[in-house]
Amino acid sequence: MRTVPARPTDTQHSSGIVARLVDVTKIFPGFALFDMSIDVRAGEAHVIVGENGSGKSSMMKLLAGWFPPDAGKVFVRDNQVGFRSMHEGQSAGVFYLHQDVQTCENLSVAENVFLGRLPTGRFSILFDRPRMIRECGAVFQRLGIDFAVETPVASLGYAERQLVAAVRAFVSDSEIVIFDEPTSAMNDGEREILFRIVDELKRDGRAIFYISHRLDEIRRVGDRVTVIHKGRIVTTEACDRIDHEALVKMMTAEVRSDRYPRLEQTVGPTVLSVRNLTKDPILKGVSFDLRRGEILGITGLMGSGRTLLASCLFGLAKPVGGSIEINGRAVEINTPWDAMAAGISLIPEDRVENGIFRRHNLVHNVTTATLNRFLRRFFLDERYMEELTLEYAEELTIKPGNPGDVMETYSGGNQQKVLVARWLMNRSHIYIMDEPTRGIDVAARVDIYNAMNDLTTKGAAVILISSEIEEILGMSNRVLVLEGGRIAAEFPWRDASKERILEYATGDR
Amino acid sequence: MYATERARVIRQYLEEHGQAHVHQLSAMLGVSEVTVRRDLERLEARGFLTRTHGGAVLNERAGAGEIAALVTSPVDEHLDEIATVALHMVGDGDVVMLTNGATSTRIAQRLEARSGLTVLTNDVTIALSVSVQQTNRVVMLGGDVVAQERAVFGSMALSNLQRFYVNRLFVEVDGINDRLEVSVNSQEKADLILGAIDVAKETILVCPAERFARNAFYRLGSVQMAQRVITNTFVEENYKTALFAHDIPIYTSVAAFEGSA
Repeated sequence: MRTVPARPTDTQHSSGIVARLVDVTKIFPGFALFDMSIDVRAGEAHVIVGENGSGKSSMMKLLAGWFPPDAGKVFVRDNQVGFRSMHEGQSAGVFYLHQDVQTCENLSVAENVFLGRLPTGRFSILFDRPRMIRECGAVFQRLGIDFAVETPVASLGYAERQLVAAVRAFVSDSEIVIFDEPTSAMNDGEREILFRIVDELKRDGRAIFYISHRLDEIRRVGDRVTVIHKGRIVTTEACDRIDHEALVKMMTAEVRSDRYPRLEQTVGPTVLSVRNLTKDPILKGVSFDLRRGEILGITGLMGSGRTLLASCLFGLAKPVGGSIEINGRAVEINTPWDAMAAGISLIPEDRVENGIFRRHNLVHNVTTATLNRFLRRFFLDERYMEELTLEYAEELTIKPGNPGDVMETYSGGNQQKVLVARWLMNRSHIYIMDEPTRGIDVAARVDIYNAMNDLTTKGAAVILISSEIEEILGMSNRVLVLEGGRIAAEFPWRDASKERILEYATGDR
Repeated sequence: MYATERARVIRQYLEEHGQAHVHQLSAMLGVSEVTVRRDLERLEARGFLTRTHGGAVLNERAGAGEIAALVTSPVDEHLDEIATVALHMVGDGDVVMLTNGATSTRIAQRLEARSGLTVLTNDVTIALSVSVQQTNRVVMLGGDVVAQERAVFGSMALSNLQRFYVNRLFVEVDGINDRLEVSVNSQEKADLILGAIDVAKETILVCPAERFARNAFYRLGSVQMAQRVITNTFVEENYKTALFAHDIPIYTSVAAFEGSA
């Protein structure tokens, strides 16, 4: 085992290119990558920037072997490769550090770092624990990481786990390391550590792809930068040659916010007042008001605190400071039941993980948040449940919309509408929708936008959390921009533009 | 029995009797009292009745008077839903124009909820209907009266139009096909609509879902003549997709939310 592999540079290809995609095309349902050609050299960090959904991660997954390209070639060193799985990619030296934390909860930090390559004793094949601890300690010292190597990973936060995973990349002998928005949840100190890991990897002669959302990171870590837009490469440039404004322009799609069914509602009094909401390590004193009949758009980059804010308002995360008032009265929201009692509903991000019961039927999925309503003495009035479910299904055009339909047979759009139905039925007066249209078809999006209008015209207020800036511009009365856990800007919708939002969201102001 | 059918029965019952009790309706319709209350809430939101303790009474204006009798068209929930959406696009003090048609007539009746409006129309029924609204003013275009449409058309109506500045023009159309071409039933109507679009700041196409995937006699032009389209929520999905793709916002009559508890 080599803790710090030395990599003689003279074995490299003359141009130093370690990995290369050539004219790669890949069609996904509803999305595609076209003719992508990109390479990375030994000792280089190649930054990839682009909007959400522009194809950054998909392109890297093609390199890492998650799926094969439909056309084009992938080279690692000078060999054309056709990885059939991510494991094949990994054994060929491609380490993909993706956004979902990939640590083993029950193991210690050191065990996670050396996972798959646990050190053995000098004269035995048995696991040498003290040696592992020693070596891990040495690596941590070199990288300036100060948490104890024997801590169980379960006690670490999301950002710290990302660091552990990054150290794992460092001690592996992978020649190519792909970072996928590694700093999205990190504070400044953690980011510095990550940058140091990247620097060390470069010094070591490894080749790095670094996907980022943050323009300020390009110069900090990058040598070259590639801009991707809607599955195509716009340009590849040296980092010191590209100017900031040009980057924002290139990342920015044409905005067609006029096609959203906006209603110019007159808004009513304040229904929700959030003051100084703080939740370590991300949210730092968030304050805003929400008015009756209003759609308040909240946007920001990954890790800006969007979803955490929603979690705090719905009692899924406990803020360490700040206050929440509803209709002028202070409320304590410690659990989702508190939130529901206060008249708040959350339609969560990621319906598969947080919402839909895949093996249950339509009626159960729609009525599950409002069972009290159907309670007759000790029984549930199943006929009424079915009747009401069908009415909602009809209004929201959930298809096919039969009471017994099992959710796993439904499209993403229909599943999302089932979740909307569930929470509309709860008859709340504040609706938080976190990425309500992510990954669903256009017709279902149109239905959800009109359901939002149905809410606001009947006196409810909506918080629309979205990374899709066009949607924010199209539907919101007001727009808040979150950056690093703070509200960086607030605009009435007429004053908001994609450029202005990005300017604040990227911490450029 | 679905909500739409129940609403129809309740309305008929109220029109005959003037009032109704929840338990009566529940027994008559064979649904729970909770469901009936929900139906009543909806009908109240549509201005048809007022809920009372244990029941509902018919709103006076909806049934009373000779004019009302003349302008009360058969109840059509689908048109009514569209009218609800249209109402949300009208603000107090607007100058609104409605071109003739059954949906426009429903919209006109709902405008009672606004004040200070000036309503311009070529439809005799709409003119009468708005004329009984105390806070709104109606202006009827002059021209040749066409009996079966109960509306006026022709060059006089067109030159009349030139005198007005319209904030919001609601155009009821008779067909939108899969190439997003809009059509209407007569040439006179087409001419009037095109003239009205010229004087309007914003054009809103009103087209019930049943009229999609259909061509009427006279082709009006591309849907892009309008800034918004209103239809029923059950319109074919490909129209939702196509309109969005062509940058035309499509407003559908989703009426799922029952209001905050």
